[in-house]
Amino acid sequence: MTYPFRPPAPVQAAMSQISLTDIHKQFPGRGGAGGWKALDGVSFDIATGEIVGLLGPSGCGKSTLLNIVAGLDDTYEGTVAIQGKPLAEQIGQGFRVAYVFQEARLMPWRTLRENIEFVLQAADFPRTEWAGRIDRVLGLVELAKFADFFPLQLSGGMQQRASIARAFAIEPDILLMDEPFSALDELTARRLRQSLLTIWSAFRTTILFVSHNAFESTFLGDRVLVMSPGPGGRIREEISLRHIKRPRDYEDTALFVESKRVVESLQRHMGNRPEHH
Amino acid sequence: MALVTGFDANASGRIASLAGAIAGSERVRTTVITVLSVVSLVALWQFGSMALPSSVLPGPVRVVSALVANVLQGDIFTDIAITLGRIAAAFAIAMAVALVLGFSMALSRTAGIFFQVWIICGITIPALVTILTLYMVVGLNDTAAVLGAAAPVIPVLAINIREGVKGIDTRLIGMARAFRAGRRQQIVSVMAPQVAPMLLASTRFGIGLVWKMVLFVELLGRGSGVGYKIEFFYQMFNMTEVLAYALSFVFVMLFIEVAILGTIERRIFRWKRN
Repeated sequence: MTYPFRPPAPVQAAMSQISLTDIHKQFPGRGGAGGWKALDGVSFDIATGEIVGLLGPSGCGKSTLLNIVAGLDDTYEGTVAIQGKPLAEQIGQGFRVAYVFQEARLMPWRTLRENIEFVLQAADFPRTEWAGRIDRVLGLVELAKFADFFPLQLSGGMQQRASIARAFAIEPDILLMDEPFSALDELTARRLRQSLLTIWSAFRTTILFVSHNAFESTFLGDRVLVMSPGPGGRIREEISLRHIKRPRDYEDTALFVESKRVVESLQRHMGNRPEHH
Repeated sequence: MALVTGFDANASGRIASLAGAIAGSERVRTTVITVLSVVSLVALWQFGSMALPSSVLPGPVRVVSALVANVLQGDIFTDIAITLGRIAAAFAIAMAVALVLGFSMALSRTAGIFFQVWIICGITIPALVTILTLYMVVGLNDTAAVLGAAAPVIPVLAINIREGVKGIDTRLIGMARAFRAGRRQQIVSVMAPQVAPMLLASTRFGIGLVWKMVLFVELLGRGSGVGYKIEFFYQMFNMTEVLAYALSFVFVMLFIEVAILGTIERRIFRWKRN
């Protein structure tokens, strides 16, 4: 590569890049009444280069947590620190966040290339680097030939792959993913998870993702944090998956054993409370 | 790892040329139907004129030759220019007011509720009443004429714009915020392209309405322009000239619609093709 990419960060489990301490989040109720306690004392750390999954039923506050880490929501109690410094300070200092949403969220009037240019511009990358970065990330998700296609000319799976490429193009310090594969059919989702891990292995980006799919969380994560259902979501159990070797393979038996463990944990912590939406 | 898309460069090329051929035959089809449509319209006119006395409904040949004579003589251009000027002024006013109303109603709940009543009243009051009132209040002059042509269009246009702004995909704005796009980049790259098609549609719709209103105000209280000429020749029982003037303006409006707005539209919707 002739353009300046950062070398992949070494996996350092010891050093925590992001730490959340005792996060509480209350949504105001309509007309001043009670409201909704989304998060009730959530604490966890993420190491550099780690992939962490938040697993839980809908309404447990997973997406709220992502928005807090993204810096999009600053009305919460508790602290979020990036390498020991408050998140709000870091965000102005070149700490880059990327997001993959449930839907691709590409601008339909821009080609894939132009969509990625949008985030490169937002992240203040010099124009001279754009073409190199775009070619590299699109190549990694096998969309190089489609750089000048408009999103509506591509399938849903290809669009989502492009949105993954977009996220990696800015080489984020952390990549947040909110149910990134849940809108796709299982076969497409499988290929995309593989695609994600391929591009991840080139960058070793720190990833925090949200899922309600136990198998998906097991396949992707170094760790899965199981959350209790809302209101008052909190982390009930932490399951380490670091012993499942990478690159990961859908046929790996360890994966099935562990995903069974994750499902059991999920069931244990769901309790008998009715599901909230 | 096999992430085969099943889509190599050759195949995409073949599909593109196939799509081109289909689009080509589709274009021929469209053209043929359009030509047939025009011919049948003129034929209907012709049959009508044959059934009625020519002083009541002159035929297309007669009207077109009158129009050609007018064009050669040249006076008609003065009237067309005057009317176009009034359309431009009235449209500019209507669009400016409707933009402010439409955007504020879409973005602020308070404004939405407040102007709702105005809009309903505006739609309900007949254009004729608005125009006559303005002629009385402002005087029988061009200002009143232009305001009178603009006013009845504003409420309808404002509703159009409000709905368009409400239709903006907020998820894309969420995306832009998550990637830390600045305010300027959000407006220029995310909001504006979403608002543009709606603005174009409103422009079309607005010009179409304003032009009819301008003829109306000219007929009611002006001594120049196409509307005045139509009324003048009507008083003289000269239906050939009435239709010749009307036809001249149909051509002008067709030109604006097809050549100007159509071109802009094709550019804006480049991404919707295929």
